[in-house]
Amino acid sequence: MATSQVLLSPAELAYIHSSLSLRPPIRSDGRTSTQFRPLTAETGVLPGTNGSARVCFSDGTEAIVGVKAEIERTRADNEQEDQEDGAAQRQVRGDWVEIAVEIPGLRDDDASTVFLGEMLREALLGDGDFARKLWINRRFHWRLYLDILLISPPLSYPLPLLSLTTHLALLATRLPRLKSEGDEDPMFDDDWQASQFLYSQSESARPPITLLVVAIGGNVIFDPSKEELAVAESALAVSVAAAASEKAAQDQRRKLKLVSVRMVDPPSRLTPPGIPNGTSSGTGAAPAGKEGESVEGVWKAPVGGTKFAILDGIIQAVLEKGGVADEVLDGLKDVELA
Amino acid sequence: MTSLKRSAEGDTFGSNISNKTYVRSTRSGKVQKIVREVYLRTDIPCSSKLCKACLQSAPRNAANEVQPFVLSEKPAGTKSFPQGHYLMPDTNALLNAMDLFEQSSSFYDVIILQTVLEELQNRSLPLYNRLLGLTKSEDKRFYVFFNDFRQETFVNRDPDETVNDRNDRAVRQALKWYGQHLAQTKAKNIPAVVMLSDDQENLRKAKAEGLHAASLRQYVETLEDSDKLLDMVADVQSSGGFKKPGQMLYPEHFTTSRMMTGVKAGLMHQGIFNVSPYNYLEGSIKVPAFPKALLVLGRENINRAVDGDLVVVEVLPQDQWKEPSTKIIEEEAITKNEGADAEESQDLVSEKERKALQEEVKKTHKVKSEGGPQPTAKVVGIIKRNWRQYVGHIDPSSASKGSTQGRRMDNVFLIPMDKKIPKIRLRTRQASELMGKRLLVAIDAWERDSRHPTGHFIRSLGELETKAAETEALLLEWDVQYRPFPKTVLDCLPSEGHGWKVPASTDDPGWRDREDLRNLLICSIDPPGCQDIDDALHARKLPNGNFEVGVHIADVSHFVKPANAMDTEASIRGTTVYLVDKRIDMLPPLLGTDLCSLKPYVERYAFSVLWELNDNADIVNVRFTKSVIASREAFSYEQAQLRIDDASQQDDLTNGMRMLLMLSKKLKQKRMDAGALSLSSPEVKVQTESETSGPIDVKTKALLDTNSLVEEFMLFANISVAAKIYEAFPQTAILRRHAAPPKTNFDELSNQLKVKRGLELRSDSSKAVADSLDECVDPKEPFFNTLVRIMATRCMMSAEYFCSGTQSYPEFRHYGLASEIYTHFTSPIRRYADLVAHRQLAAAINYEAVHPTVRSRGRLEAVCKNINVRHRNAQMAGRASIAYYVGQALKGQVAEEDAFVMKIFSNGFVVLVPRFGIEGLIRLRDLAEPEPDSEFDAENYTLKTKGSREVTVELFQKVRVRVHDEKDEMTGKRGVKMELTSA
Repeated sequence: MATSQVLLSPAELAYIHSSLSLRPPIRSDGRTSTQFRPLTAETGVLPGTNGSARVCFSDGTEAIVGVKAEIERTRADNEQEDQEDGAAQRQVRGDWVEIAVEIPGLRDDDASTVFLGEMLREALLGDGDFARKLWINRRFHWRLYLDILLISPPLSYPLPLLSLTTHLALLATRLPRLKSEGDEDPMFDDDWQASQFLYSQSESARPPITLLVVAIGGNVIFDPSKEELAVAESALAVSVAAAASEKAAQDQRRKLKLVSVRMVDPPSRLTPPGIPNGTSSGTGAAPAGKEGESVEGVWKAPVGGTKFAILDGIIQAVLEKGGVADEVLDGLKDVELA
Repeated sequence: MTSLKRSAEGDTFGSNISNKTYVRSTRSGKVQKIVREVYLRTDIPCSSKLCKACLQSAPRNAANEVQPFVLSEKPAGTKSFPQGHYLMPDTNALLNAMDLFEQSSSFYDVIILQTVLEELQNRSLPLYNRLLGLTKSEDKRFYVFFNDFRQETFVNRDPDETVNDRNDRAVRQALKWYGQHLAQTKAKNIPAVVMLSDDQENLRKAKAEGLHAASLRQYVETLEDSDKLLDMVADVQSSGGFKKPGQMLYPEHFTTSRMMTGVKAGLMHQGIFNVSPYNYLEGSIKVPAFPKALLVLGRENINRAVDGDLVVVEVLPQDQWKEPSTKIIEEEAITKNEGADAEESQDLVSEKERKALQEEVKKTHKVKSEGGPQPTAKVVGIIKRNWRQYVGHIDPSSASKGSTQGRRMDNVFLIPMDKKIPKIRLRTRQASELMGKRLLVAIDAWERDSRHPTGHFIRSLGELETKAAETEALLLEWDVQYRPFPKTVLDCLPSEGHGWKVPASTDDPGWRDREDLRNLLICSIDPPGCQDIDDALHARKLPNGNFEVGVHIADVSHFVKPANAMDTEASIRGTTVYLVDKRIDMLPPLLGTDLCSLKPYVERYAFSVLWELNDNADIVNVRFTKSVIASREAFSYEQAQLRIDDASQQDDLTNGMRMLLMLSKKLKQKRMDAGALSLSSPEVKVQTESETSGPIDVKTKALLDTNSLVEEFMLFANISVAAKIYEAFPQTAILRRHAAPPKTNFDELSNQLKVKRGLELRSDSSKAVADSLDECVDPKEPFFNTLVRIMATRCMMSAEYFCSGTQSYPEFRHYGLASEIYTHFTSPIRRYADLVAHRQLAAAINYEAVHPTVRSRGRLEAVCKNINVRHRNAQMAGRASIAYYVGQALKGQVAEEDAFVMKIFSNGFVVLVPRFGIEGLIRLRDLAEPEPDSEFDAENYTLKTKGSREVTVELFQKVRVRVHDEKDEMTGKRGVKMELTSA
């Protein structure tokens, strides 16, 4: 986990945990369980890229994503297969997207950085539509390079920030307009204004977003702050994309698609446990046989997995109409694309 | 959160920084988004001499000088603008009528906007280059205004605005600014700034903004001699707008990307399109994929390609393969009665053409000669047009008869002088005046629904058949630069002019590292009357019994320094062009005929090659040096020969020449043994009467021993120099190579010799060719051998200049001379390659530092490419000039001469008349009236006629022909006409 250790005492941890376990939970910053922290965003910050975005969270973390596209020849073995399969088949491959994540203070081959990058990549490719957008013809495709930079110190787990910035950058990504037809060597319009958005405004498809969700005492809490993450019983990265569908385009409602769910090891597991008064050596009582039991008001690092009901609840909350994903996508829709 | 983006307002620098975004596709297939910052300034001057403010603020160079202002303070006025006016053309105006801007009666004081210049560069590179030339000429007063860098005239592209609309807006913005800016000068007569455009929308908007604007046509109509000028406006716009969608006659061309994909995949082929000189409906294209050229037959397959275009072809299915035609098809004869107006009613392929093709097909089916049908192809697209300006004359039959009075727009056909170029349709108001004149025209377009390309008139060269017009015509046709040397070039000449002398004191810097060879007995041998003497020779016996031989070449590189104006001009001209009565010099005559020329009795700078040779003419030692020489005598070949033959002459000079002759014979023998070819081309000399410069007689050139003496030593010097500069500059030496011809080139000739004479032509090496050519003799006919040599010459590749880094050593070989390495060194006055070789040799012997232009491979390659073309063109122009004079010499005369059959077609044959060195075509229909029936045996190269006249003509046969001149009423050319008297 990329965040630095939270400097909270077991008693503080226990306090936060118990307030978050209430129904409805009480969060230290007063948000509701599905409310996100406010953020500011802009696109087109890097003129030399095909698309770029910058997002600042109110906790001071900030990220920039730049997308560069390059033409690449599709490998010959694909071509042959295609000829056998018939013309309509569009063979796409996952390695057409390359993601580099940069977290200040960490090496780029650090396990947590690689894991972050892989999670973002998985979300992008889990939605098969995305790679299909890079297909030019049977012989050529676009290759995308996503450079994801966290430019502030990693104050909290940066996954939601990086994911939202990537989402915006991809929304703002434009590719030169193709002039050639069929399987010819591609030729492009040299007018940048004529270039086309990778995700066109008119269609309903949207790049995936990855949301960080924590479960605490049966409650599901979105966009956890650093302190909330420190007491989470389990943390999940849930990736959702809006699929392209004609019906969705007509009734202005997007069709959400769950792309991936991944467990994240929450930092709470590494916190030192609190010692109840009864067992404290300071009070003189014998530390006999009471190890596994939790005592009200005393912090103990969570162990074990996530209950299925909770998983189900998370997915419900994300995917339901007017749910969290809808809300986030609606929010990001209003960012002006430059 | 503050934005990271640069905002237009608020930022102090926001107003003078902008940016430009575009997509760049690189050759390697990369596609990049490019963002460029544009820094806007306020000190770019308007360059009007009226304006004082700009003069104050204009940027200054290192010498603190302002670029002189261009636009006149008193520009010419017109009816609509009596106060005077500046012109501001937009891009389409330049595209449609560049010729208008180039002519000298009007179109002065023109503002060329950067926007327009850049757009023109993208649309048409040749026009762009012509415009650049115009902006450099001082008298036309063209000023390039960098409007996209000036703050007030910069225009940001609006969202959803097309590039075109943005550029139009930029032009209007600049127009507006100029108007306001000039108004501030408070001059008495403020000139109007007038936009010229053919874009109706642009004109409308300009007028709505209250700016001066006019279409080309409107503007030209207010000028004097507007009829003449209107002809120069390209046809495109005059017919634009209300053109009815005619029937499409030609298939559509493929898109560039489709062609490129096809070419890369090997399914299509790219190459230069060549039209057969005998059949305008047959073209060939040499592509890298196949050893032999692909045939392109028929109008539809040629699909609007013009000779010289870079095209892409697709091979036709095998059942459409054909043999190359054995028939002469001339455009004038077949399409002679077409009217230029009655275009639409006709099909693409006229009935006559179709018939001609049918006969072809029949022939292919009937005869199964060993080659069989050859692969044919069709043109699917044109990568690059190679249109230039063409010389021709109006087809009298295409002009309507009633056009003598009135200035009606007329459609006429122009028949180009070059038979490979199709007829060009012109629209003109002055058809009756242009009739019977040599004209210069340009092709504008060739639309799918038009049978012929459309073009426009540029200027008239004069009456047909006048010497001035015909000479200029052939110079234009062969792209020879014949304009007088500009002042910048003449400024590079030594200030002493003809009074220049070799400095008397040997301490002078001119003498640095120069050897004093004034004591040597040097003489020059050249054709009679030669003024530009490049070379001189000497020989003497050394005390050790060996010979010292020196070849002294005019030291042109002393006078022509690299990269100055004179050098640039010479590199463009490439070579001196010799016409019968005229010489177009590469260097100004002061140098060519005086200061550099190794004239007798005066001291001259030279570049000397000095050998020590033994009795067998083997090199013992060779060295190169800059020198000063004093030539003792300038001989003509004949004089030298007489002096050598005269045994009573025993002076040292004559004995030296005898030594040279003896050594040259040995050198020649060695060369022949190595397999050098002695080839022939018919060479004729036209003797001109000096006063009127009218031709009086035609003679074939005689060859003396002294000719070969000079030739041998020049070859010898060239080879020695080539080895030296290659050693010094392995990557960048300028050399000359002659590639071995592909074996297939000799196929036809060797088959002809086998069938007709039972002779064998071996072509595995130059030695084999040389030997078998020697065996090709006919005891009864001494000329037969020459005839075969002439025909063999035509199978050869042409020699070319190249830069040594571009080829591997074995490719350096000069096939014809059987030399491993070769260059041109001996004629720097008349060839640019020699001049470069001089500079390289001077650097190789540490005489001077290597100049960057002599070392840069890219530049040398460009120079080689240019001089190869110039060299060929100069030869062609020379030949064309001789042909013209031969025609003039025969004017009014009839001569009966021997002739030899060189080529046989099914409806005619080509003969060569050795006495005049000319070839002529005799068609069956010329033999008798009505045209006799014929039987053509392609395998035996025999043509038999029956009926109205019975003759049998076969290849190599000697025939008698009557030669007389004839002016073809149809084509307006005076040509040599031949008639067969006996076979």
